[in-house]
Amino acid sequence: MGRASGAIWRRGRATTLALVVAAFVVATSTARADVTTEQSASILVFPKVISTPATASKLASDTIIQISNTSNSMAFAHCFYVNGAPPDPSQLPSSTNQPQCQEIDFDIYLTKQQPTHWVVSTGRRVSSTGPSDQECSDNPPFYDCNGAGFDPGAIPPVSDFFTGELKCIEVDSSGAPINGNHLKGEATIVTTDGDASKYNAIGVMGLNTDSNSNNGDDTLCLGGGMTPSCPTGAEYNACPDTLIVNHFAAGNKFSAGASDPVINEFASGSEVNTEVTIVPCTEDFENQVFGTAVVWFDIYNEFEERYSTSIPLVYCWANLNLGAVNSVFTQAFLGTRFAQTRMYSADPDQSGILGVVEEFHSVSGGNTTRDALNLHGEGDRPDGDVLVLPGGF
Amino acid sequence: MRRCGGIRLWSVIAALVGASVAARADVASDKAAAILVFPKLLIDTSNAPPGPRGQIDTLIRVSNTSEEPISMHCFLVDATPQCPSVAALRACIASPLDCVANGCTSQCQEFDFYVNITALQPIAWLVSQGSSECTPATPENVPCLPLTINNPRPDGESNQGSRILMAPKDPFIGELKCIAVDANGMPVARNDLKGEVEITRVQGNVADVEGYNAIGIPAVLPYCSGDTTISCTNNSDCQPPTTPSDEGTCVQPPNNGGNTLVLGGNVCAAGTNAGNVCSSAADCPSGSCVSAGEYVGCPNILVLDHFFDGANDPVTGQEVTTDLTLVPCSEDFLTLPLMPVATVVQFQVFNEFEQLFSTSRTVTCFAEWPIWTIGGSQTMQRSIFSAAVMGTLTGQTRIRGVAIADPTFGHTLLGVAEEFRKRGGSAATNLHFSGSRPQSDYLYLP
Repeated sequence: MGRASGAIWRRGRATTLALVVAAFVVATSTARADVTTEQSASILVFPKVISTPATASKLASDTIIQISNTSNSMAFAHCFYVNGAPPDPSQLPSSTNQPQCQEIDFDIYLTKQQPTHWVVSTGRRVSSTGPSDQECSDNPPFYDCNGAGFDPGAIPPVSDFFTGELKCIEVDSSGAPINGNHLKGEATIVTTDGDASKYNAIGVMGLNTDSNSNNGDDTLCLGGGMTPSCPTGAEYNACPDTLIVNHFAAGNKFSAGASDPVINEFASGSEVNTEVTIVPCTEDFENQVFGTAVVWFDIYNEFEERYSTSIPLVYCWANLNLGAVNSVFTQAFLGTRFAQTRMYSADPDQSGILGVVEEFHSVSGGNTTRDALNLHGEGDRPDGDVLVLPGGF
Repeated sequence: MRRCGGIRLWSVIAALVGASVAARADVASDKAAAILVFPKLLIDTSNAPPGPRGQIDTLIRVSNTSEEPISMHCFLVDATPQCPSVAALRACIASPLDCVANGCTSQCQEFDFYVNITALQPIAWLVSQGSSECTPATPENVPCLPLTINNPRPDGESNQGSRILMAPKDPFIGELKCIAVDANGMPVARNDLKGEVEITRVQGNVADVEGYNAIGIPAVLPYCSGDTTISCTNNSDCQPPTTPSDEGTCVQPPNNGGNTLVLGGNVCAAGTNAGNVCSSAADCPSGSCVSAGEYVGCPNILVLDHFFDGANDPVTGQEVTTDLTLVPCSEDFLTLPLMPVATVVQFQVFNEFEQLFSTSRTVTCFAEWPIWTIGGSQTMQRSIFSAAVMGTLTGQTRIRGVAIADPTFGHTLLGVAEEFRKRGGSAATNLHFSGSRPQSDYLYLP
């Protein structure tokens, strides 16, 4: 088919479609939104935020947060850091070394379409005389313009060893939660050697943005129906029912993880380890109570063989090295290099979960490089989740 | 083949008189979908000599999230510039400003293949190697499809018949689109596919991995006419006691399994503007505005938060640059090499002072740019995407393909961004989406 005839054919086909569809009598469509990593939302969740010093086996890491206002009006947000590091971060969390789940909150405000950023270890200070940080310029060359731009508010630094989450909730100028859906964000985890991994913040969209069904109180209702704590029903979309991750089969202290076929192609060998970070959807910042759940994992290998395991999510934050969770994730057990894992709360009454995955690809005799991906979500939690903000004084 | 598709289109759409159409989900990279788009694949495996960022290959992972087997019809778009030498090609890929000077010309060529995936099965392949059923001769390192005709599932399901093409060139740059199809190769409305890409660069014993999720375009599924958020398979699913109240009838979307896939869009049904594109009922006097998509429409605007090029990373002090890859949502795979369609792309760039700048470029088939080159600057320091001009570390860029009055081809875009740290690593990220548009996009399959 030549160029002209192809174009004519296409046009004819499209016209046909239009004419036939024109015979329909139809209803107005409505679009339902879900928790998203690609659209502006009213609640941003950054499940993995780390700021850790160097140790004998690990480089120091820090996290750069980027948030933008995607609307043409001012946007305000109330943000919460939750530190999931235990008091002795050199030891694994345990009953005697429980994660602190310490929350610190702060406010940010963004002018129309304004992007902003900060490094979590340093936060961002506000100049009392307006924007005064030196701007980037080529004359003379100056490219360390970390503080240039309108300050989004005073953002505190995190503690010296921080492994936890950041949640930002859109509010109005009085501080009341609203369904604006004006915020988007990204987190970049950077190690001192310049390696970086990046993921999109998870956005929980407010419902009925036009009519703002949000009652503006301190109890935010994520999905679900009318309950005593949510007398008007859902104000935001529900957390997903199931999270899905494709990953390399893991390793543990008894056996190596799956190798990276690309690195193997060009270097002498490799191993990939996977960390899944999970945070609860239900959180009560007023009473410092965080949702708990038994998280089930259904694992499918490349032979479509199914295995399962579970762990309790009893703290505010869990960073799971899959190989350490259970040997069922290991290549020695699964027998294949790749797997698909589906994660969900065992009971609808328990908290929903959100998360992100990070892979660590190690070269034999070489470096380790990191790579983050957003998880896939499936379905909505029918009973919903609740976020409770601290009340006024 | 296309004529047959046309007959199917007629007959199936004719059967839908009285039905309504609605979009129930959005294009997303975090939900399973019926169409997967991998905007950027890259290989450069040669070590004689290695490229400026080392040896490169791309790993693709796809899984079926349903408990039923599924097949994919995939289209590998080769957008590798044609250059007189590998050195010239590498320079052209690294910087489009060097393409003309190095004697390179752009091109687009499509290759397609089928893959059969069993229930809930994860699969993976290297773009440089392709894949097929595992055999004793398959090199140990090369991912292959393990459920063969001789080693099927107990229920007999296997990957038999799958043959994933390797990239036709090395170096190679391009995109991949995969469409859910049935056993006969006809598109089906099943939102069961998810995927990821990992691009790995290796120099000696130092590796750098970046990953992004495939962008999923969901098919419009049956829904209740009274509440389009309720899925159904028949009318009883829309009536009590299944639903609390009467939610009307179960509406079947117009996916006719034909070779023209309609992505989003609205048209006037009846009235004086019958058949015209519409945004609302006000555009359709004496008629109504109806959705026309078999699949959800592509986003109207892409949004990218990024570091301005040349700024120093505040953690490491290393210079940061960003590459942007854009591919068209509409594509005619039959005529792609002969008549790729050009789309003008408008960019709005905001810095942290809320100062706004804009520029534009044209995308034909595939585009991958260091963002500082988008405005046509010859040096980074004069670009509106550079920290030197914008003054702040980060910015927000809104990207919009310009719609024109072409009823056969939409002009929306999809893409992915990559962040590079000088002497450091890279990180890829999916773009954000905003809105939809009344015009449909079309995928024309061979």
